[in-house]
Amino acid sequence: MSEETSNGIISEDQAVELLALFVSSAQLLMHEPAHYGPLRLLTATERLSAMMLEKATEETRPFLELAIERIPQMHVQMSDVPAYKAGLEELNAAIGDCLVRRAGLEEGASQ
Amino acid sequence: MSNAVLDAIRKRRVVREMTDEPVTQAQLEQILDAGRWAPTGGNMRQNRFVVVQDEKIKGLIYQVAPGMFQRPPVIILICTDLGVARAHQISDDSLTFPMDVGKAAQNMALAAHSLGLATGPVTSFSQSAVNRILNLPEAFVPHMFICLGHAAEVSQFNVRPWQRITWRDLTFYDRFPSDSGGE
Repeated sequence: MSEETSNGIISEDQAVELLALFVSSAQLLMHEPAHYGPLRLLTATERLSAMMLEKATEETRPFLELAIERIPQMHVQMSDVPAYKAGLEELNAAIGDCLVRRAGLEEGASQ
Repeated sequence: MSNAVLDAIRKRRVVREMTDEPVTQAQLEQILDAGRWAPTGGNMRQNRFVVVQDEKIKGLIYQVAPGMFQRPPVIILICTDLGVARAHQISDDSLTFPMDVGKAAQNMALAAHSLGLATGPVTSFSQSAVNRILNLPEAFVPHMFICLGHAAEVSQFNVRPWQRITWRDLTFYDRFPSDSGGE
């Protein structure tokens, strides 16, 4: 594990909160509408982003800030499929950018 | 002519973002009383209300309730006491119970609205985890949380906001015609 990724970014309490969200969602999704699956994943993404924000590196922070701002808006748009898809596109493009930054592959970045 | 009941029915909304402004004990008791006056099948009165105000317990419930977006000052859990039902030889899976929970919930929501408060129902939660967290009696089945508080001044999470329907879209009179798929 690199120094950068071993910065104790969330606490055990926060990790358990996410575990509770995962297992309760898994049980509920057995009988909930299919589109609730993405909703639960986005809820987890938003909560994890908020937990990580304080200690996150500059490379990761833009994605976290976007997730915290954008995901609550997407909850409102859930039944507006084109808007919801656009939100997912935006988040996925942003996580792609985040991965590129973290790998030091940005154009002009030192290798 | 103004009608307070009809006005409340039309204006009440599900609220998913609340402030931390407290709910008074007097308000809470009025809302619980409205729940008590909801009709129940066979007048069995098997609904039970568990009021959660402790911050730590509310935090634990939030963690196992993916459908709970609010952080309300008060959470009311509506349960069915199967002990009452069993005494009347009603099966545990009777459809009466969730219907009666719904009636109590709507009474509470309307009462809260009339008092200037907001509510949001939550059924997406892990029953088994909530049983443990609240140490519910074995015969209590948790059905629905009512989040109770004051609405935040933000755009509220509103599912399918553009669908405008009237009672005419939902209502049919008498017998369906023979080409409607009926027998």
